Amino acid sequence: MREVKSALRLSALNARAESLGLKPGMPLADARAMYPQIKVEHTDDTADQNLLEAITDWCSRYTPLTGLNAPDGMMLDITGCAHLFGGEEAMRQDMTRRLRTQGFTARAAIAGTVGAAWGFARYGKPTVVAVAALRETLLPLPLAALRLDADKVDALIRVGLKKIADIVDRPRAPLAARFGAILLRRFDQAFGVLEEPITPRLPLPPYIAERCFAEPVTQEASVLQTIEHLAGDLARRMEERGDGARALQVTLYRVDGAVRRLSVATSKPQRDTRALCRLFRERFSSLTDELDPGYGFDVVRLSVTTAEKTEAAQKDIVSSATGSDDIAHLIDRLGVRFGTRRVMRFAPQETHIPEFAVINVPARENLPTAAQSESPQQDTDGPARPLRLFEKPEEIDAIAEVPDGPPAQFRWRRVLHEITHAEGPERIAMEWWRDDKGRTLTRDYFRIEDNHGHRFWLYREGLFGHETKPPRWFVHGLFA
Amino acid sequence: MTEDSSTVVALPSPKNRSGEDTASPAPYAELAVTTNFSFLRGGSHPSEFVKQAHALGLTAIGVADRNSLAGVVRAYAQAKELEMRLVVGSRLVFSDGTPDILAYPTDRAAYGRLCRLLTVGNKRAEKGDCILVLDDLIEFAEGLLLIVVPPRPNVALASPILKRLRAIAPDRLWLGVSVAYRGDDLRHLKRIAELVHEHRIPPIAIGDVLYHAPERRALQDVLTCIREHTTLDAAGFRLEANAERHLKSPAEMARLFRRMPEAIEETARFADRCRFSLKELRYEYPNETREGFATPQEALVFYAEEGARKRYPEGLPPKVRNALDHELKLIAELNYAPYFLTVHDIVRFARSDLPDKKPILCQGRGSAANSVVCYCLGVTEVDPNQVDLLFERFLSAERREPPDIDVDFEHERREDVIQYIYKRYGRERASLAATVICYRGRSAIRDIGKAFGLSEDTIGALAGTLWGWSTDAPISDEVKRIGLDPTDKRLAQALLLAQQLIEFPRHLSQHVGGFVMTRGRLDEVIPISNAAMEDRTVVEWDKDDLNELGILKVDVLALGMLSCIRKALEMLNKHYGLLADLSAIPKEEPEIYRMLSRADSIGVFQVESRAQMSMLPRLKPENFYDLVIEVAIVRPGPIQGGMVHPYLRRRQGIDKPDYPKPELKEVLKNTLGIPLFQEQAMRIAIVAAKFTPSEADRLRRSMATFRHLGTIKTFEDKFINGMVTNGYERDFAVRCFEQIKGFGDYGFPESHAASFALLVYFSSWIKCHYPDVFAAALLNSQPMGFYAPAQIVRDAQEHGVEMRAVDTNHSDWDNTLEQFSSWPGLTRPPSARTSVRAEDSQRAL
Repeated sequence: MREVKSALRLSALNARAESLGLKPGMPLADARAMYPQIKVEHTDDTADQNLLEAITDWCSRYTPLTGLNAPDGMMLDITGCAHLFGGEEAMRQDMTRRLRTQGFTARAAIAGTVGAAWGFARYGKPTVVAVAALRETLLPLPLAALRLDADKVDALIRVGLKKIADIVDRPRAPLAARFGAILLRRFDQAFGVLEEPITPRLPLPPYIAERCFAEPVTQEASVLQTIEHLAGDLARRMEERGDGARALQVTLYRVDGAVRRLSVATSKPQRDTRALCRLFRERFSSLTDELDPGYGFDVVRLSVTTAEKTEAAQKDIVSSATGSDDIAHLIDRLGVRFGTRRVMRFAPQETHIPEFAVINVPARENLPTAAQSESPQQDTDGPARPLRLFEKPEEIDAIAEVPDGPPAQFRWRRVLHEITHAEGPERIAMEWWRDDKGRTLTRDYFRIEDNHGHRFWLYREGLFGHETKPPRWFVHGLFA
Repeated sequence: MTEDSSTVVALPSPKNRSGEDTASPAPYAELAVTTNFSFLRGGSHPSEFVKQAHALGLTAIGVADRNSLAGVVRAYAQAKELEMRLVVGSRLVFSDGTPDILAYPTDRAAYGRLCRLLTVGNKRAEKGDCILVLDDLIEFAEGLLLIVVPPRPNVALASPILKRLRAIAPDRLWLGVSVAYRGDDLRHLKRIAELVHEHRIPPIAIGDVLYHAPERRALQDVLTCIREHTTLDAAGFRLEANAERHLKSPAEMARLFRRMPEAIEETARFADRCRFSLKELRYEYPNETREGFATPQEALVFYAEEGARKRYPEGLPPKVRNALDHELKLIAELNYAPYFLTVHDIVRFARSDLPDKKPILCQGRGSAANSVVCYCLGVTEVDPNQVDLLFERFLSAERREPPDIDVDFEHERREDVIQYIYKRYGRERASLAATVICYRGRSAIRDIGKAFGLSEDTIGALAGTLWGWSTDAPISDEVKRIGLDPTDKRLAQALLLAQQLIEFPRHLSQHVGGFVMTRGRLDEVIPISNAAMEDRTVVEWDKDDLNELGILKVDVLALGMLSCIRKALEMLNKHYGLLADLSAIPKEEPEIYRMLSRADSIGVFQVESRAQMSMLPRLKPENFYDLVIEVAIVRPGPIQGGMVHPYLRRRQGIDKPDYPKPELKEVLKNTLGIPLFQEQAMRIAIVAAKFTPSEADRLRRSMATFRHLGTIKTFEDKFINGMVTNGYERDFAVRCFEQIKGFGDYGFPESHAASFALLVYFSSWIKCHYPDVFAAALLNSQPMGFYAPAQIVRDAQEHGVEMRAVDTNHSDWDNTLEQFSSWPGLTRPPSARTSVRAEDSQRAL
């Protein structure tokens, strides 16, 4: 069920509920009145979407061109693939059988056009429709099979048009005028008058090699061996066209329908089989979660997801690469080895509290766009913050003028520092709304130079006379 | 901090500092105070600043809100009480990159120019905004003392502006210096010193204060979040780094500015030069001389006498004669004649036959309205012979408070009156008063919750624990009940801040109908800004502020019932040939009171609500004064004060009225010993608790408007102790105070109740004798009143009126009356034709 205009309505039903006469769109209250014992759950659109995506991915074992057909279907372009599975009908049956064993109820139809296949799968006999028989098999289907909105279909039924046959010979202009151009477009798409491409869920990789196993493989070593074999295959083909791989992906199809993808990226186009395999070996060994083969993988596919001309790499060496590129490459390479989430970089935070002013974020993540507000600028010749900030401020002994003067001298790590110059105080109060235990005292920061030219960032914790009796002094960082 | 830099500051040697702490600090005046009338910026009320400044021993405090003078009157009221020196100014914030400038007028004329300047900026902008450029200031700068607040850290950016301003105001220009604990304060002082040297402009110390005490930092942070539509966690550097922007003592300021003591000394000199005080704004009534009369008083006497002869054709009763003479004398003494003439003029306009429009029905109310003078001038219809009203309340000689007359007009025609006033007095001399929209419990918890990043659900649940207009934050029991933990630190903070935020002004809005009129330019008294509605302008002060300064205000209000009665009178005239005039309606008909005692009052003004209908049969009104009580008693004030039942019991003779002392009998005899009206509460305070009249008035206002919890407490002690020392029992005194406390928001003054009671009588009279006319007029005035058209139709049918359905041949836009042809014997045709317009009644038929 889901909330539609503040009323709870049924959104989907299982077969048993349907046989009781409940219908999608029915108010929950009515349904409860009919069958108080029914069990209802809230619709979880995200979960549905994820599941559908997972199934679509699994379907890529049949063809690389798979598309999502929300909310409840998927669309495969099997052109040139069917013979691998023993013909179209055999493929269709194999697919429905495998899905059924995974616990899904599936209807699959194969037709010459996207529109027709959609209609047959839902409203006709789920079968393979020969191209020649397309027209006559479509005609008896209801108009809903043309992928029209429910209210459009209702409007058509109200004027007595129920089946596709009812509109096929009618003059087109009045139909379009009355029911909108979409009706004719859908009609033409179903009959193949208009082309309709499938939007693939995943970009088509430029190079693919795969191997199917009659007996599923379970050993990681044999998977790697297969990858090496496939990589050699790919390398030969890339060589023919002068390409190199920048990014590769291995797709492992498990017997039970789970699909595992592992990607590696290279910083320059690469087609050396051994180098590629080494990347995958590193990738496998750095997996945080075990590669769970379950009952084994029955298909292993290696695809080059990004390919570049190898000649282009030559140019890179001559031209002066920009710094950011270098850093990006470094991040890539470190990322392959350690996992992209482990390569971190610093990001500034908008807060007055020095130790929170910087946090680590994964290096691959985009930095937040322009800052919301500017940090207060200080009138100073040097940096306002030290080059080195101690993770933990170190307590010092200091003698200072009350209430807010800088110390005259202080002892840090048993060394006495005589202060010659001081600037401050910069008063920073803690963020009162955070629940930081004990971190409530206001700090007065001073930039300090001692008689040896060392520069420190000191602070006194607690306002004299207000917050604490004996204020404590800390050194929080070093300028030089 | 480089060795060779001249800005390096050496540690002062101990010798330099030894004397500082012991010497008495130099006098200091804070001149950069941002109150919470700089909406969502300042973190304290103006009165809190003044109190704190007084407690810290500042010589003066200057209130300067962002492009506004909205908060100064409240500061003035507090300063007057504490005898604190207040300097009034404004912080000019420019839209052309000019740094902020604090502008303080030296005298009345300069104040007028400041008002004009702000008005120019206001009129240029949308409602609530002000767009100023430096050239505006230069145009109006004469007599203004200017403190330029240079931007930090690069103060030199102010140089070009200093040059320009120095050319026009060489001896009225200062450079504001603040010590903000930013780390670079010493360098800042030095840079200022350089500028001072370069431009020969004296430096002046400012605190740039946002709140009166450091504890308010949290609230100010939250206000910043609300203003920036962000949360505390995301606000970042938009929040202040520390809690230093509070008022500081002279000693502390002297210490902070020990390297620039002249900046501190300058503040006192500066404050001395601001000789302007708000009390100079003594109000000037519009010029109301009338042709043929030497003075307004002469004109007023003439009009009043003329009216009196019309009202009492057979001669004035002696009681009325005496009252009239007394009132006229008081008016002459206090010089209020122009005010009465103003009201008279507005009423005369409304009553006059305009070329293309019918006269507008109107009625005055308010304390001053129910005087013999107003009765004679035709402002009201309450016969002073019928009701004994306290004229003194508004016009006592010792309190020079302006009289208060509200005039109700037909709600469909009020705009005509408003535009007439604009036309007659001009837009520079007339404007609507403002209403300060303040945070209430719900809005406070909503905004605070958002700033804390609480989820919508949580905020909704918290707000749901409050009554709509509650002025309290949710209490912990309620919070627990909705499943939240009130001891959770963040939630506790949010609730505490919500409590502090309540009563904070949020923005200004226009008063429903309060008109301010002046003789001179109004925009030299108060800055004027655009209202949201087209063709309306609003001043920055609300009715309490205007009252505080004694500025005249006439309330031009809209009343649906007047439209209804006017329409009924027209129909009576057309169909029954009766005179279309309220004064033609016979007074004190017992039949009317019998009808009301049956609670047959659907559609009747004021007494039609269910609460009133259940009260009517119990109170059984028998004369006009009973109606006055009826109107006043079913109000939240008397109900919460627990006055209803005691009154009914005494009226029904179950209990005897008892008066602990004869002096109270004098006050309470009309209402059987129970205080029901605001005036009575005041009289009790004067008579029994020995308040002075002005104290009693302050009590009334602290109950009614300012609602400072602190002040009402001090009054409570004074009231109870006063009564006890005067020989009353403590129990009685406490009960008495509890009763009159209820009046705070929702009590009725007797005079208002009397005016309303009159409308109750008129509408009842029409309903009683001509239910057909009454129903048609009511339906034609919709939307108004308590009941839906269907209920009015049904009530009319129950009174024997035939309601006819809409007919394309007969119906008009309005409901009409038709001859009832099948009952030829009847002289009265009780039938009404439903209109095309009244869709609701159509459905009911």
